[in-house]
Amino acid sequence: MSLTTVSARVPARVPEGGHPGCCYNPRVAPMHTHRRRGRVAGSVVALSCVVILAGSVVPAQEAQPPSILIARQLAALEGIAVGDEVELTSGEPGSATRRFRVIGTYEPTPNPLQLGVASRGIRMHLTDLLALTRDAATPAGTEHVEGITIALQDPDSTRAFVNDVNARVVGAFALFPGQAAGAGDTFVVLERFHMAIATVTIIAATVFLLALTVMLVDERRATVGVLRLIGFPAHRILVQVLIEGVVLAGAGALFGLALAVASEGLINWFFQWRYDTALIFVHVTPTVALACVAIAVHLGAVATATASWALLRSGGLRLAKR
Amino acid sequence: MNALACAWRSLVRQPARSGLGIIGVAAVGALLFDMLLLSEGLMISTRSMLDSMPFDIRVTSTDQMPGRGPDIADGPAAAAQIAALASVKAVTTLRREDAYLMRGDGTRAYGSVLGIGFGSGRPWTLVSGTDVVGDNEIVINEFAAQVTGTDIGASLTVRSNCADGATAPPAMEFRVTGIATFVFDALGEAGAGMTDTSLAEACGTPGAIPADFLMVQSTGDATSTAADIDALGLHLQASTNDEAMGQLQQREFTYFRQISTVLTTITISFALLLITVLLTVSVNQRLGEVAALRALGFSQGRVVLDVLWESVLIVGIGGILSLPLGALMAVWLDGILKRMPRIPADLHFFVFQPEAVWIHAALMAVTAFTAAIYPMVIVARLPIATTLRNEVVG
Repeated sequence: MSLTTVSARVPARVPEGGHPGCCYNPRVAPMHTHRRRGRVAGSVVALSCVVILAGSVVPAQEAQPPSILIARQLAALEGIAVGDEVELTSGEPGSATRRFRVIGTYEPTPNPLQLGVASRGIRMHLTDLLALTRDAATPAGTEHVEGITIALQDPDSTRAFVNDVNARVVGAFALFPGQAAGAGDTFVVLERFHMAIATVTIIAATVFLLALTVMLVDERRATVGVLRLIGFPAHRILVQVLIEGVVLAGAGALFGLALAVASEGLINWFFQWRYDTALIFVHVTPTVALACVAIAVHLGAVATATASWALLRSGGLRLAKR
Repeated sequence: MNALACAWRSLVRQPARSGLGIIGVAAVGALLFDMLLLSEGLMISTRSMLDSMPFDIRVTSTDQMPGRGPDIADGPAAAAQIAALASVKAVTTLRREDAYLMRGDGTRAYGSVLGIGFGSGRPWTLVSGTDVVGDNEIVINEFAAQVTGTDIGASLTVRSNCADGATAPPAMEFRVTGIATFVFDALGEAGAGMTDTSLAEACGTPGAIPADFLMVQSTGDATSTAADIDALGLHLQASTNDEAMGQLQQREFTYFRQISTVLTTITISFALLLITVLLTVSVNQRLGEVAALRALGFSQGRVVLDVLWESVLIVGIGGILSLPLGALMAVWLDGILKRMPRIPADLHFFVFQPEAVWIHAALMAVTAFTAAIYPMVIVARLPIATTLRNEVVG
């Protein structure tokens, strides 16, 4: 199954009452632009604010009010429990209120850009949202939605479907899932930023490693001198030193990885608790682990070879101080 | 020879290892400096941008930042009520929508259009030409002028994509009256400004003039003016620049503050560990030399001070080098982060502030001292006779 998105100001033509699969999720619905997403999210926040003002629990009525889901954080903040009834309004002065029944809570999709902000989101049926926000001048069924998420049965037909919609439907833009995510570019940039910082850190670590290796090799000056005097060729000693460096670097890298894996859970637990989010902050993937080991081993080898080279060019007698 | 001179000679005697140690400290120190600049950079930069605008209070429909919440349904009506307050000097309505700016030959640029109404305040600075005064007039930024090849006096067609506009808004023709810079211009994004009535027509809803927010200039005390606006009972939220900054700090900039804190801690720990190892290995290689100095009459405090000065020299020289290096890195990293979509060109993530230099110096000083503790203990507890004997036998 493949997901794609048609994003436009498409007139809503949803049967009154909706259906179970029509639950509208403004926080995760892909939008065409940041602004649109912001607007919908903002509207739902506004609705949520009214929940606070109206008081959470309303006496139960005989007729069953429409159902909604509320974000776990909002439920905790306002003391709203499953089964409670709440009143919502669009927030416009003089706008009507509608009663809803909370049938559950949900965990909002984690968003790194909303770190530290308690989610105050609500999920409801699209028809209920339209009815709540529709002004008196707008006939029912002529409202707009900002995006439609479509699941295709044949994932390979995504491109053809997108092209087809864009060619045939006036005023609507079909987007690929990656494009529809909207904030994708932001995270690509953040990844570049992290990579830049990692590069600087690696450079600093390399310099320190080189300094340490120079010192350690220097410490073994006399031993190397004796080896040269008893007939070991320079390249043979260099290979030995190189292997030693690779083994040490490999062991160091594995220890670092073990430390990272061991602390992964602890770091995630702390920050998830600190920011009340399901966001994963640290994740050691096989790719990352392999990259770390590869970088460390290569750096270790290069640092050892570089540090040893000057030493091995000296004569055996000089090294052995004889 | 005093301790400082002695430590200097120790460093000069082994230029390779000393040089590498200093370069390593410089690299780590540069990263530390950058993280200090990042921790407050966005706040300072945003504050500077807000202060540069001709208003000190923004009025929105909810407690969300402008553009994030619902529109103010009737911008001019709300503005008129607020303008009647004695503590208000000026009010301007602002609406922002996405639009294509197109030339007749098909060249076009996608960007944002601002619709301004009610007051005379403008969120742009005119570079050339004249300001918009009536309908069907538009000012554009230099990027839009370059992309579309438009100059003052030329015609430009605007096809808007409004959040609350018509399904198929009309393509409207405007006359370019001027080139302007917009405070929140993003890099590589077209920007334009027109009257709110023109924008309403471009959106296909000429009867409705909503506003994203109202820009209010107080006569002096922004806080009391905001309170006056709240007291009007318009169901709107008035917030001063200080309050807006508080919101941003709490909601928007958390990620960069956190990454700054985490990386500051990591770089300090990294520097501490590595300098300690460098000094410890260095001292261990010179134990015989130190024992000889003690035997010659150098006091325990004196040889300990030599090690401390050595640490101070490595960290001090590296720290000084790290400042220009950090400044260059900050420009590079700022350039990377500014490629995020919709980041205003004038906004900077890394902003220089004198406090950052002092904090950097203090952290480096603490690092130099802490890193020297273990090697100093080794030197202080060195058994002179045993060490000299081992040196001779070895």
